[in-house]
Amino acid sequence: MTDTATTDVTPQPKRLGLLAQFAGPDELIAAAEKVTDAGYQKVEAYSPFAVIGIDEALKAKKTQLPWLVFCMGLTGCLVGITMQCYMNGVEGSWWLSGYDYLISGKPSFSIPAFIPVTFELTILLSAFGAFFGMLAFNQLPKLFNPLLRSDRFAEVTTDGFFLLVDAKDGKYAEAETEAFLTSVGATAVETVDEVVTGYALPAGIHLVGASVATAALLVPLYLWMTSSTTTSLPRITLFKDMENQAKYKAQRPSTLFADGRAARPPIDGTVARGSGKDDVELYYGVKPESNLVGAFGGGDLQFASFNGDGPVKATLVAEGDEADSAAEPAEAAADAAPAEMEEKDWVTEFPKSLKISSQLMDRGQQRFNIHCAACHGLTGAGDGLVTQRALGLQQGTWVQPTSLHAEAVVTQPVGRIFNTITNGIRKMPGYKEHITPEDRWAIVLYLQALQRSQNASADDLPADKRRELSTLK
Amino acid sequence: MATADIPAGYVPGKLGSVPEPWIDPPWIEGDNDFRSVTDKVCRIAENPRPPVAWFIGFVFAASLAGMLGAMIGYLIITGVGVWGNQNSVSWGFPIVNFVFWVGIGHAGTLISAILFLFRQHWRTSINRFAEAMTIFAVVCAGTFPGIHIGRVWFAYYLFPIPDTRLYMWPQFRSPLLWDVFAVGTYATVSLLFWYMGMIPDLATLRDRARHPIRRMAYGILSVGWIGSATQWRIYEKAYALLAALATPLVLSVHTIVSFDFAVSQLPGWHTTIFPPYFVAGAVFSGFGMVLTLMIPAREWFGLKDIVTMRHIDCMCKIIIATGSMVGFAYLTEFFIAWYGGNPYEQFAFINRAFGPTWWAYWTMVTCNVISPQLFWFGFVRRNPMLIFIISIFVNIGMWFERYVIILSLERTFIPGSWQSFVPTWIDLGMLVGSFGLFFTLFLLFCRFLPIVAMSEVKQVMAHVDGNPHLPGKAAAAH
Repeated sequence: MTDTATTDVTPQPKRLGLLAQFAGPDELIAAAEKVTDAGYQKVEAYSPFAVIGIDEALKAKKTQLPWLVFCMGLTGCLVGITMQCYMNGVEGSWWLSGYDYLISGKPSFSIPAFIPVTFELTILLSAFGAFFGMLAFNQLPKLFNPLLRSDRFAEVTTDGFFLLVDAKDGKYAEAETEAFLTSVGATAVETVDEVVTGYALPAGIHLVGASVATAALLVPLYLWMTSSTTTSLPRITLFKDMENQAKYKAQRPSTLFADGRAARPPIDGTVARGSGKDDVELYYGVKPESNLVGAFGGGDLQFASFNGDGPVKATLVAEGDEADSAAEPAEAAADAAPAEMEEKDWVTEFPKSLKISSQLMDRGQQRFNIHCAACHGLTGAGDGLVTQRALGLQQGTWVQPTSLHAEAVVTQPVGRIFNTITNGIRKMPGYKEHITPEDRWAIVLYLQALQRSQNASADDLPADKRRELSTLK
Repeated sequence: MATADIPAGYVPGKLGSVPEPWIDPPWIEGDNDFRSVTDKVCRIAENPRPPVAWFIGFVFAASLAGMLGAMIGYLIITGVGVWGNQNSVSWGFPIVNFVFWVGIGHAGTLISAILFLFRQHWRTSINRFAEAMTIFAVVCAGTFPGIHIGRVWFAYYLFPIPDTRLYMWPQFRSPLLWDVFAVGTYATVSLLFWYMGMIPDLATLRDRARHPIRRMAYGILSVGWIGSATQWRIYEKAYALLAALATPLVLSVHTIVSFDFAVSQLPGWHTTIFPPYFVAGAVFSGFGMVLTLMIPAREWFGLKDIVTMRHIDCMCKIIIATGSMVGFAYLTEFFIAWYGGNPYEQFAFINRAFGPTWWAYWTMVTCNVISPQLFWFGFVRRNPMLIFIISIFVNIGMWFERYVIILSLERTFIPGSWQSFVPTWIDLGMLVGSFGLFFTLFLLFCRFLPIVAMSEVKQVMAHVDGNPHLPGKAAAAH
């Protein structure tokens, strides 16, 4: 379309060709055959449905569309398999690296599991090739066509069958061609011109459109930028994910309670978990007369004396209990406690409240084999399966457990061993959450038996067993 | 479209190639020519005042769809606890409805693609209808997993989109992810197939349109189609290629949906029969739904000449075939449970048939296995009312099939975790609401788009039926 606003003179429209109408599909095929046989080359047929045989009559070339679809399908297949192998099988420290999932022991490049998605992408891209290829090969969408200006041609989508002989055809001569078309059975023949009049787009509409499109992109781009860069300010995101949570943190004010505190005091008449450990020998393995009782049991004792009537006393929480409430410094506390302790503070005898019996010994053996043997080994030599595996893998962070039969361990007072089980040492975590104090003492008891067994001589055996041993020799 | 639809002995313009009507009755009945077919189909979309039944149906369906929307809003605000899903039955109605609707969506592409490749001319009168049904069923299906993920604003996690914060990718060895690709591809390809098939008919509506807005809307939708031989040539090739691509696709979709179950270790689910059994069930339910929609529609919209009893008869036969396959699969499952000797598998099946939810199992068997067998009788296949009723039974039965499968979760390996599933009113409301959404979309389609593939029907009239009322034939006869 040319801009008619600049000139008042309508230019002479260019002739596009001659349009002939036919009665039905068979007449159309017959006529098309005659027209192409007569030497016309630029001939096009129009029909409301795909008339079978018209392509041969028009001597038209086959479409190359299948090749496009094939290439798209191949692309889909390759993209599918490459995408999955990269995203699920390749991992590194670069930007947008894949993530090497280990799922049910399948290999990183588990091709059978990748078949469904590869198949679907092959089909998807082939289908895009077929659909968009069809549009592209037909130069569609093309929302304006000069033929649509012909009233007669409007029937082409209902029951109209037409032939168009292009004016650019070498053999085209208007009068003769028209006569020829009538002679091959056309019911009507008319000329078609290029359309030169019409509405022109207002100037600058492209600029406006481009500006609006750019402006519409700004907000999503800004959101994307803020959500993928680091910032010291609160992040602006569409969905808050879990960045901001509706919760109170420790020592923050609250408008919810009358006293304005977010942290709540214990409810009247309740007893805090872990309190009431008055028997320091049993619960901490230290002597009651030790100076450090305050540090170990003092807080608890104070807490236990809280009767709930008066205001909450400021309680001094002992170091051992600190590890209870704050998970993080558990290791630090465990390391710190023995260092501050003097050997004389640890009990050297089993607590008086504990009944030493062979049942307790059996219990200790069972608990030791469950909780300790995995690393320390069934004999306590520091050769458990986990240790063997870690050393086999040459795990740099693994600290091999000290043999429980080493001089330094054998000479330790039982209270100190109890404390090690309770709070852990070096890489070993504390077991106070997993093993009850009685069971911990049972383990200590069994450990004594183990130590005895590993450092024993033949003289330790009872007389009858010694005789048996000598017969074996 | 049907390029290769030429009968062996077809000679253009020769009346001798017209089939004998008593041996092979014409697909299009009555004194119809190209124009009358166009008029009949376009009139539905052009009628300024649609039938009162349409308005009543639309208001009803749209309010149910609105209810679904409100319930989804409630779900998003509140959380998935509004459903009856629990620890044991972690997938409740959402997956039942998803599988049900995806299954419904199979008939459309089957009719469009597989029947096209097998040169079944009867598909031309019903394929548009069935394809539209496919699209709308897939829309309903896609809704359920979408809202089942809990925090729906993270639905994009389903797709392999690069994430600069998480450094994570989807897990491509999971059947649930395969589902995303299978259903996504199926929805896309079905939409392309449907839309491409509609382009020539949209051009017909454009050329008939009087109102400028209608002309412009149909003009844009028909992308400038003028029916030139070049356009038809490329279009026919593209259509045949799409059909060839959609054929394995339609079989793959429900196969992959069945992997959601079959790849798990659960008794009653962990079975290799699931893929073929699901595909047969999907086609079965899809044809059931096509009949449910088609029988009233041909009555109300005056399409009895175009969608004839012969078309209906063909669909009934497909229902017998697929219904029998489904029944055979039910028997095979029991046989394998017994023959496989796995006590958990045996328990799962005995529990299905005779456990606390026996009624669901026997509803399924009655509707899916017994009711379609009535189509063996000719008088049933000729009675639209009976066909309509049986098609409803098929729909009910296929919903219950998926429900029965999901209920396997009620009683798994550990009796301590056994728990009965009780749907909430939200569950039931969403099921009803999904039907509302489906029918809303369908009624809009009937109102504004060509519901019969006119250009394909015309091709069958010209090249297969050899209808003597056509202009060309009439000229040759004189």
